[in-house]
Amino acid sequence: MSIVDTPVPVAPAAPARATARLLRSELRLVFGRVRNLVLLAGLAAVPLLIGTVLFVTQSTPVAGQGPPFLDRVTGNGVFLVFAALVSCLPFLLPLCVAIVSGDAIAGEASTGTLRYLLVVPVPRTRLLLAKAVAALAFAGAAVVAIAVVGLAAGAAYFGVGDVVLLSGDTIPLAAGMLRTLGVVGYVIASLTGLVAVGLFLSTLTEVPVAAMASTVVVAIVSGVLDALPQLSAIHPGLLTHHWLDFGEFLRLEVDASTLLAGLAVQGAWVAIFGALAWSRFTTADVSS
Amino acid sequence: MAPTGTVRVPSDVVLSLVSGTLGHSGPMDTTRSLSPRVRWAVPAVAAGAVAAAFLVPAAVGAVASDDLPAVTADELVDRVANAEKVPVSGTVVYTARLGLPDVTVSELQGAGPLDLLGGSTTMRVWSDGEDASRAALLGDVSEYSVVRSGPEAWTYSSADDEAVHYVVDPADLERYEALADEAAEPSVEGDVPTPSEAADLALAQARIYTDITTTDPVEVAGRSAYQVELRPQTDGTLVDRIRVAVDAETSVVLRTQVWSVQDTEDPALEVGFTDVSFDAPDPSVFDFSPPAGAEVREVEVPLPEPGTMEKPGSEALGEDAGFAVSGTGWETVVEVSDVDVEEILGATAEGRLPEGSTGSSGADDLLEEFTDAEEGELPGIPELDTQALYDQLTTPVDGGRLLTSALLSVLVTDDGRVLAGAVPPATLEELAG
Amino acid sequence: MTAGGPAAEPAVRTRGLTKRFRSGQVAVDHIDLVVPRGAVYGFLGPNGSGKTTTIRMLLGLVSPTAGSVELLGSSMPGGGPVVLPRVGALVEGPAFHPYLSARANLERLDAVDATASPQSRPGRIDAALERVGLTAAAAKKYRQYSLGMKQRLGLAAALLRPRDLLLLDEPTNGLDPQGTREVRALVRELADGGATVLVSSHLLSEIEQVCSHVGIMSRGELLAQGTRAEIAETGTTEVRVMTRPDQRAHVARVLTGLGLEDVRVDGEVVAAPLGGTAVEKVAQAVVGDGVDLLGLEVRRPTLEDVFVRLTGEGFDVDR
Ligand SMILES: Nc1ncnc2c1ncn2[C@@H]1O[C@H](COP(=O)(O)OP(=O)(O)OP(=O)(O)O)[C@@H](O)[C@H]1O
Ligand SMILES: [Mg+2]
Repeated sequence: MSIVDTPVPVAPAAPARATARLLRSELRLVFGRVRNLVLLAGLAAVPLLIGTVLFVTQSTPVAGQGPPFLDRVTGNGVFLVFAALVSCLPFLLPLCVAIVSGDAIAGEASTGTLRYLLVVPVPRTRLLLAKAVAALAFAGAAVVAIAVVGLAAGAAYFGVGDVVLLSGDTIPLAAGMLRTLGVVGYVIASLTGLVAVGLFLSTLTEVPVAAMASTVVVAIVSGVLDALPQLSAIHPGLLTHHWLDFGEFLRLEVDASTLLAGLAVQGAWVAIFGALAWSRFTTADVSS
Repeated sequence: MAPTGTVRVPSDVVLSLVSGTLGHSGPMDTTRSLSPRVRWAVPAVAAGAVAAAFLVPAAVGAVASDDLPAVTADELVDRVANAEKVPVSGTVVYTARLGLPDVTVSELQGAGPLDLLGGSTTMRVWSDGEDASRAALLGDVSEYSVVRSGPEAWTYSSADDEAVHYVVDPADLERYEALADEAAEPSVEGDVPTPSEAADLALAQARIYTDITTTDPVEVAGRSAYQVELRPQTDGTLVDRIRVAVDAETSVVLRTQVWSVQDTEDPALEVGFTDVSFDAPDPSVFDFSPPAGAEVREVEVPLPEPGTMEKPGSEALGEDAGFAVSGTGWETVVEVSDVDVEEILGATAEGRLPEGSTGSSGADDLLEEFTDAEEGELPGIPELDTQALYDQLTTPVDGGRLLTSALLSVLVTDDGRVLAGAVPPATLEELAG
Repeated sequence: MTAGGPAAEPAVRTRGLTKRFRSGQVAVDHIDLVVPRGAVYGFLGPNGSGKTTTIRMLLGLVSPTAGSVELLGSSMPGGGPVVLPRVGALVEGPAFHPYLSARANLERLDAVDATASPQSRPGRIDAALERVGLTAAAAKKYRQYSLGMKQRLGLAAALLRPRDLLLLDEPTNGLDPQGTREVRALVRELADGGATVLVSSHLLSEIEQVCSHVGIMSRGELLAQGTRAEIAETGTTEVRVMTRPDQRAHVARVLTGLGLEDVRVDGEVVAAPLGGTAVEKVAQAVVGDGVDLLGLEVRRPTLEDVFVRLTGEGFDVDR
């Protein structure tokens, strides 16, 4: 087949270039949407809220009560980051991931824009990949927003200082910041599995809300199963089981194998649900 | 092999996956020309690969390791007893299937010794092979640490931000230095078990009342290990068998497993390394100072007088407590009379911790090592409602309350006696009369 | 892969194209569509006859249950990445992100096109907006667009780049008379520029004015296809005689006497298919028989006649 007979010269950009352009467009779409920005602002408000409440009431929570790290915040603002992350992990962050990843394909299908993207043409695999990366980028932005606002609010209200690890040892603030970076990175990586699940569910329906809701349900059910001791055999494989392993960064010696185990489980979820999403999306009829 | 069927996929699936990701590499987009059936094979392959990646190492890990020179059971026990102390660090997983009601409270309370009552607990341990060691019981975002260094020891619980400093009574310090023996280290409430401590207790009296054999070598934490099996000669005990895996090179105990007669498939107790290194840990690990702002309690520990090692500090159990041992070996039952249960529960609730009662001879030593918290001593958990816990763990029987677990029975009679042993509950009730 | 030049190879060719949905319904049933290069092809059919489903299959959005599709000489869907940049499409109405402006929507479509150069993007978008008369409303959010404006924006997206083939599914839906006329002019202009245009519609008059070729779908089948003249010939030419009411029965008898079949009184006229009979003969016979001839008309078949004859009079959707 040649293009001798075509008046319009077709010279596709290098695939990497085309993918980058598509990704930029996706990112603009995700981060330009008012709903998503409100979501980001809402998540960023969590540490601000916690910090303000602690500052105004001037009361240190009793040790061992409330979410982990809450009792440390008034002593060292850095802990506001961890307290806020722990507060957001069970529901708000999964919700945020679900909204963006569940919307990824189903949202385009419901507005009908999916068919016009595909006839541009945008290869389906490339589109799926760009959607996944954009959703993950949004989840990452949410985590970073919580951390940055947490750190800023913590520093403003309570000041920051040397960081006391879970083991009781104290490390300098600079090292503590490095570990905080590690925590943020690990939490973002922990959300990849849920992104893949949301993306897969998003390929199944033309109703974005259905995909979003079922993604949230997956995260919550995973949390519930994780709390049932009778199911301890399957706990290590659960999507949410290793989420709190970010605490590893606050131990005396950060054990890479613990972190890698958590990442491996996320990798497994990404592999399976990413493959499912790919199979579904590249074989499905687009009749929206 | 692992239970993962093989799924055949044409090699061009993988290729086209790659090219699909990168876009159309030629005039024909090969990804769109794959049949749906081939496409749906991809998640199946992914699932298979994941299953293989997660299950195969587990399956391989259980397989016997390479040929080790044969060793008799007696030799092995000697080796362990006379092993040179070496630095050890690593991750220890402790799993208890004691059949107790679920009292796991780590979600609410953070990591603490009470986790050891049930389920699976991960610990990180460091030892310099001499007089310094550290153990950390890991919770999700909490940690309970026990740091020993010579005559002093610290415990620190991140959940309550509380540190306890144990020092040898100054009067005894001289004697401590003369002894300079591990046996004399200050005893710490809520201590954390290690595979070797568990094994020491079992092996110490292994040659009496017990059949000792070796099994095929195993692999534990990636190391080749000999394994010795201990079987009580009596059937009057709850213990079915104990297996101890010993590192072939260093003779360090890597894993101890205890089976109850109630379930001979899965061990009722298992404590073993999942990851071990024999490099000397950084000395700073043993150098603990409590964080600023933490609540610190000082405790002076008297060194036990020679000869009293066998007896628990009776003052802890009540002023007039008496102490008796009946039965031998695996069937040993310890009986303590005139115990004021109400007072102990009250004291614990207020944070006044009665002294521990480890150290008596018999199989219950081993069990108590793991379960000493069951007797109402709940260090590090001041907020816990011990009365409620006591009610939850025990069941009322004729003339008292009974605690039964897979490996240990404890009977608290209404007239203030406590009987405990690795024996069926009926034995205790009979003894109590 | 394919031999021959543009003249030999039709712009669209399907062979035995079939779509059976998972519900079991056969929406498209073994159709062999041929759209020659340069043609303006009117794709007709009642509601639910399978036009949109066919267009989706042409574009690779829906995979056929059986049969094959060739677009501009490349087989679909495999050839999509190469051939689709040369194809502009409007499928089942326009669709854009409601919270983006018209321009931002076009920018997105252009940005994701691997074959479009980013440098010339603003120019392309301006030209496309200009062409559909939306320049003034380019900054408005799509959500605030009227039905016709949305339709125009859909056309603008299809015309973002020079196209060799346009597949337009009901392009005049929701347009005002001016808009409809503009679309007709646009289609002619595109055809004059050498592009092939396939227009699906059920507005027959509209198709009739612009098409060179016609295909008629019903219940998933392609009942007829060819040039407009070929299709018209499949209809029947009628002779219609006007006379006074009391002479109508008489006229009917005369026509029957001439050998015309299916003679009927249709309101004020007596009508019959002309068949092979010459019109002059009919006139002579009627006048010669003493009838007051008030008027005589030969009616050539319209597309609508052919359409209704082929697809039936029924109003209800068939499936
Ligand atoms: N996704 C689908 N699943 C099942 N049936 C479908 C689907 N899409 C279309 N159909 C059916 O296929 C038939 C043809 O539909 P299609 O949309 O192609 O008709 P159409 O000719 O475009 O009609 P209209 O003129 O109303 O646009 C209809 O009966 C419709 O119900
Ligand atoms: Mg239609």
